[in-house]
Formats: sequence, structure tokens, C-alpha cells
Amino acid sequence: MKKKMTKTGKPSKKVASPHKVKIHQLPTGVRGLDEILGGGLPEFSFNIVAGAPGCGKTTLAHQIIFANATAQKPVLYFTVLGEPALKMLRYQQQYSFFDPAKLGKAIRFINLSDAVLGKDLSGILEEITKEVEASNPSIVVVDSFRTVARKAQGNNTEMELQTFIQNLALFLASWHATTFLIGEYTDAEMRDNPAFTVADGLFWLTQNVERNSVVRKLQIIKLRGQGSVPGLHTIRITGDGLQAFSRTLGLVGKKLNSNRRRLLSIGMPELDKMMGGGILEGDSVLVAGPSGTGKSTLATQFLTEGLRRGESGIAAIFEERPEGYTARAASFGLDLSTPQRTGKLEMIYLRPLDLSVDETMQEILDAVKRLNAKRLVIDSLVGFEMALAPGFREDFRESLYRMIAALTGAGVTILTTVEIEDNFTSMQFSHYAISFLTDDIIRLRYVEIEGQLRKVMVVIKMRGGNHSKDIREYIINHKGMAVIGPRHTEYARLTTGLPERIGQTKEAAPEPKAKSVEA
Amino acid sequence: MNGATPKLKEFARRLLAHNAAWDKPAGTKDPENFPVCEKLREPLSKLTGVGGFRSLLSRALALSGEEISWLRALHIKADGSLEGLEKLEMKSEPRDIAEGEVVLVAQLLGLLVTFIGPALTAGLLHDIWPKMSDLDF
Repeated sequence: MKKKMTKTGKPSKKVASPHKVKIHQLPTGVRGLDEILGGGLPEFSFNIVAGAPGCGKTTLAHQIIFANATAQKPVLYFTVLGEPALKMLRYQQQYSFFDPAKLGKAIRFINLSDAVLGKDLSGILEEITKEVEASNPSIVVVDSFRTVARKAQGNNTEMELQTFIQNLALFLASWHATTFLIGEYTDAEMRDNPAFTVADGLFWLTQNVERNSVVRKLQIIKLRGQGSVPGLHTIRITGDGLQAFSRTLGLVGKKLNSNRRRLLSIGMPELDKMMGGGILEGDSVLVAGPSGTGKSTLATQFLTEGLRRGESGIAAIFEERPEGYTARAASFGLDLSTPQRTGKLEMIYLRPLDLSVDETMQEILDAVKRLNAKRLVIDSLVGFEMALAPGFREDFRESLYRMIAALTGAGVTILTTVEIEDNFTSMQFSHYAISFLTDDIIRLRYVEIEGQLRKVMVVIKMRGGNHSKDIREYIINHKGMAVIGPRHTEYARLTTGLPERIGQTKEAAPEPKAKSVEA
Repeated sequence: MNGATPKLKEFARRLLAHNAAWDKPAGTKDPENFPVCEKLREPLSKLTGVGGFRSLLSRALALSGEEISWLRALHIKADGSLEGLEKLEMKSEPRDIAEGEVVLVAQLLGLLVTFIGPALTAGLLHDIWPKMSDLDF
């Protein structure tokens, strides 16, 4: 074996390089936030949580402290002339993460108002130092730090504040404390604020009203020592506190092995044949058509066929309540009640009008995980878009791209319906120009034939293989949707909806025509 | 709003007895006026600030003054401690003074229960009197 030589020609000695410092990470206690931060909060870091009132700063801080505080590693929470501690406790205890047993020993609230009112910055530092030395906390929160910073006075304000922050950061890091300074700041204040320069982490929370919807977002402007996910992430505040939805949610995940993908039956043998045997597992199928053409029926058949084969499914519905959806399926002889009871099918009904796609995606991904679901129906894209806050509608296509990638990446086969208006000059697939997001497209439409408004379907595209190019007439009866008969060869221009007869009619109409009234 | 329920008063009475038993040998005179109020002062001031504690105590004093009129003669000093008890002690029976503290403490605890709920109030009291059992009010 050849020895590696140095430039001088002597064999090189393998010198063990010193290990890098390992930065431990603390959990935030906020669902989704650890992933955004790149694993968690860097231990001993000095952080600022900033934003306008009502963004969730204090709630975020409380989630962090309740997730980490123990009697051995207590938390000191300094309150300063902001929200009185009694009121803070009154409101924060409404959240599910609030554990009253931790107050006192694991979490200690200390009011600094008197120190702030009566002393200068060095006096305040002294006060904090005294408490930290007495408790040896693992986390220190100052809420609101903005009030403390206002204490800087005289001609040398900036220098005084910078020195105070520097000393505070150094002292707290030396005492192995991870620190959070909470403050109400505006974007403009970010540039020259000495606190922001010293901080290792800067968490920016915003709350915007878009038309009638409120949208809360979080940005990790900086986080030293680890890679966080850049950009604006949606957050929602519920009874469980904050929940964060990474804007890259779902993009990192397992991918299906393309060599082992099965063909899934849609529950209509003729349509399966048209699709070359069925839908390729992990595909995204778009079913587009006008109102009444049976998109939801087709979607339900796709689900029930999966259930019949032992595959769990999820229906994310936006236009109809689960009870109505289930009842309508029952009228076609399709049972959605039993699998819901047995846990094989879950109906997700989301209609709050200020949703983000990320929240919906999280909800669906959770359900997929819970049920180990193989089939998903999204019924419909139009309803989905309506459920979103106006600001999110602008990003609908990008969000859909992420959502479909995340779900198909997780091995789920998706059937999405989209309502489109038929015009009688052309045939569009969707309003959203999202056909590039889907692997397969099935188009349903009305055509006028011999005084009847009949229905036809055609498989427009199948990314995974060949498919029938036939335009097939179908009917919806009490058993659901049935593709009937061979293709019409006696008509041309069926796709316009106003076909021309080019041959003799050999077939009877699929559904009886009204009898002519005798004079 | 009168938060001093009979149950809270009963609890305050037990708290005073517990504090007296654990604080000093039996039979010796209490070194402080209203010792339970005084013991609550520091931790509550730490939690709410001295100003916050003074606000709570002044409200409790006003409410308890409706029941025991001589309590209205008391004043709260800048640090949150009470003044004026010495003069009253000369005129009143010790039993009456003790009952005054029962009512004042009950009102103070009643305010805490209203704001932060019984669980957090009990936790707070447990930190001050760890040996006090039955913190049910």
C-alpha cells in the first residue's frame, strides 16, 4: 500500500484534529419550530424574540420555559413594567402546556419593575446578577426588555446600552443560561439596535390583517451556530400555544421506490383500462370538470376501492360537511361510515377561511401518519383555495407544489378534484395552471348529443405510462359512476361540447330520452 | 366583589395558627404585626413588584374594612408593610386583632384566587409554608 507523502517527501503523520465544540440544543416546546431552527435552540445562546403586540412573543417564551424548566435547571422569568405577572399567569394558564406544578421551584417569576424605576442600567444588571447567582438558572427571560433598554439615558445612551447588553450577555452565558429578551420592536428598529447586534438568535414575529383574515408569521432572522430554515413561516396560536409550519414542510422526506410502484384501481374497471391498468401508486391525479359531472363520486369510488382492498384513506373536503359527504356516498351504495368508525378512513373538514396551505398539509400529513393512509382525496381545489386567508391564495400554486410533493413523497396517491366551467369552444383542465403538478389528468365534461346533455370523460395525461386516448361517455347511476360503451366514432369535435355527427347513430342513448308528447 | 368566602376565612384561620405554631415557640409574643400578611409581602412583591403587592393589599384592606371597620385605620407603607397596628393593639383585644388578620388574609387570598386561580395560589402558599397541609380553599 502506498504511503501518503508530504511536500518534503516524508510520510505524513495522521494528526488528530481537535473536536469542534458541540452545541447542545434545547427543545422549544413549539410544534414545528425545532425543525425550522435546525434542531432546537442552541444552548447558552442569547436571543431576542421581537414583534408587535399580540404576535405571541410571551406565549412563545412560556412554551420554551415550560418545555425545559426543572427544579434542578430552573428558569428565571423577569417581568418588567409590561404585562403584570398576575395577569400573565392568569392568561397563560389557559394553555395546555402550562403546568402549575412547575411554578415556584422550576419557574420563578421575578418582578424587576422597582429596579427599573429606581436604578440605572448598572443597577438593573446588579439586580439580575444577584438573582441569577442565587438560582443558577438554565434559562433566563426578560419580558419586556424594551422597557429595560429605555432606561439608557444621558448623552451616551447608545454606548451605555451596548455596554449593558454586552455585560448581560457575557454574564448569562458564563452562568450557562440560555437567554430570551422579549421586546416590542418594529422593522425599522432592527438596523441600529445594539441588542440585535449582540444577539445570537433573532426571532421575528408578525401579525398581518389581510382583508378579514389574520395571518401570523415567524422569521428566524439570525441564529448563530446552526442552519435554520430561511423565510417566513406561518404560525397559529391555539389552546396548545403556538404551532409553527415550516415553509419547507414536507419537502424533505422519504421517496417511493419507483421500481416497486403498484397500479391502483380507481374502482371503475373501464376507467382502469383507460389508464393502462390503474393509477400508479404515489401519483397525483387531477379530476377536472364542471359541476355535476361526478368528480366527488369518482373521488369517493377511488377511496372506497382502496378501503375494499384494505388501504386506509383520507378525504380532505372543503365544500361539504363530512355527514353530507358520507350520506351522498351512501346514495351511490358507497359506504364511508363503517371505515370512519373502524379508523380506516378519516375525513378532514377544514373551512376556517384563514388557513395556510402549510396548516392543511400538516393536518393531512398527521392523518396519513396516523392511519398509514395510502389514498387521499382533496375535494376540491376551489374549496381549498377559498378556505385560505387571502394572503395565502397568492402563493397557492407554490404551496400546492410543496403539498403534493410532500404527500406523494410520503407514498400517498392523491386524487384532487377541481371544478371548471365548461365553455363550448375549448377544453381547459384547471383555472390554476397546475397541470404540471399532477401526474395524471382526467377530464370530465358535458356534451350535447341528440337533445341530451350527456357526459364524457377522457384521460388527458398519464406521466407514468400509456393511456387510452378515447373519449368515453359515462353515466352516474345509483351504483356510482360507470363508464359505458365504446368510444363514439360517429361524432367529431366532442371536446368542444357541441359535436358534429359524422356517421350513423348505431347505439341507443345511455339514458332514456323523454317521450314525445302526442298531439 | 367579596372573594373571602367562609371556606377561605377558615383556611386563613388555619394558616394563621400554622404560621404561629411553626414560627415561634408557644407562648411567646409575636414579633410582627399581622405576621401572615408580612410573610406574604416578600414573595408577592417579587412576583408582582412592590407596587403590585400594594395594589392587592389596598384592595384587600378596603374589602375587609367593610366587615371589620377598624381595619380601615390601617395604612400601607411604600414597601408594602402595614402601619397603624400598634395604636389599635392598645385599644383592642388580641382576639379581635387576630380576627382582623383572618379577614384581611382571606380577602388577599381571595384576590389571588380570582386572578391566578386556586392551583397557582396554593402553589405559592406551599412555597412559603411548605409544611402546611390541606391547601384546599
